[in-house]
Amino acid sequence: MEAILQAVLDIPGVSAALVLDGAGRLLGQRGRALYDRALCEQLGTSLIKAIDAVHLQQEDWESMSARYTDGKLLVRNLGTLAGSTHVLVVIADATLNPSFATVSIRVAANKLKKVLGGGGASSLTSSVASTSAPASSPALAASSRPGSTAGLASSSVAWSQPSSVGLSRIAVADPASAALLARAAKELARHVGPMSKVYVEEGVRRVCPDAPFSLASAARLIDDLAGQIKVVSKRTEFRKAFERE
Amino acid sequence: MADLKKLVSLPEVKSAVRSDLAGGFLGALRHPDGEAVAAVAGFLSSTLVQVGDELGLGTLSRLSFESSARACLLILQDGTVTATFLEPAAALSAIEKLLDAPTQGA
Repeated sequence: MEAILQAVLDIPGVSAALVLDGAGRLLGQRGRALYDRALCEQLGTSLIKAIDAVHLQQEDWESMSARYTDGKLLVRNLGTLAGSTHVLVVIADATLNPSFATVSIRVAANKLKKVLGGGGASSLTSSVASTSAPASSPALAASSRPGSTAGLASSSVAWSQPSSVGLSRIAVADPASAALLARAAKELARHVGPMSKVYVEEGVRRVCPDAPFSLASAARLIDDLAGQIKVVSKRTEFRKAFERE
Repeated sequence: MADLKKLVSLPEVKSAVRSDLAGGFLGALRHPDGEAVAAVAGFLSSTLVQVGDELGLGTLSRLSFESSARACLLILQDGTVTATFLEPAAALSAIEKLLDAPTQGA
């Protein structure tokens, strides 16, 4: 996600690019010095209120643009997940070339949809697995198609590419749940190796046999997965990794 | 150009509603629920004015949202918000160009 946002930031005139979830939480951000993470986080709540108003007026909205005397605010709908809309927000100054930017932002939005929807989740999952800052790039899942919340409960919801052994078949309730699964697979891999994804998938089946995995079942899943680690000290280490949250 | 009747005379403009920034209903043309639209337009505009202030983007003059089929353009002028509903959505850029054109053409 960070690479996609960086590509948006590289468009001449763009000052910041961020992804927000339906609650206004910042899922990813790239910006010039002035538009730091703190400002973007502060912005989230107000922007989501505006987006909710747009949604109220036109449920099938795909993009929004606000023109100011000294800049522009561009928003693209990335799809609905667990009833809330995820958006790409681009803050630009007056030098932005709208035609050029529209194409580039559309490309970025399509890539983000794949990441959020699972089409490109393997790359996101691996980036989460290799970074120590999951808060800025949580793994997301479930359908990104607008109005497709009903699909969340379906096993057809993809969490990652089929090449990601095991995890591709797991249905999740929301992005936070998907992020937790990614973390669980990563942490477990430190103790059991590459089979961790298979263990996670099997664990989810045991813990949530009839429903998409959600954070409500997180503690039971961690307990279940800990049982896969034979060495007691490592098992404790695995549990502690999730107690810190 | 932001005159409501002139805007609605364009064939792509299906309806229009004028409100103040507080969402107070000022008038509507060809729209059955102008008061509801006025409330949303006022709220949306005032929220984005606030966002613009926080970001240092200056004064909000125009905002739009669209799907593949239709679009809505909100024009802020003299403390009022004129919401115009367009079909097809592709007309949005043409209408914006018209609004940007020198006023002698209006």
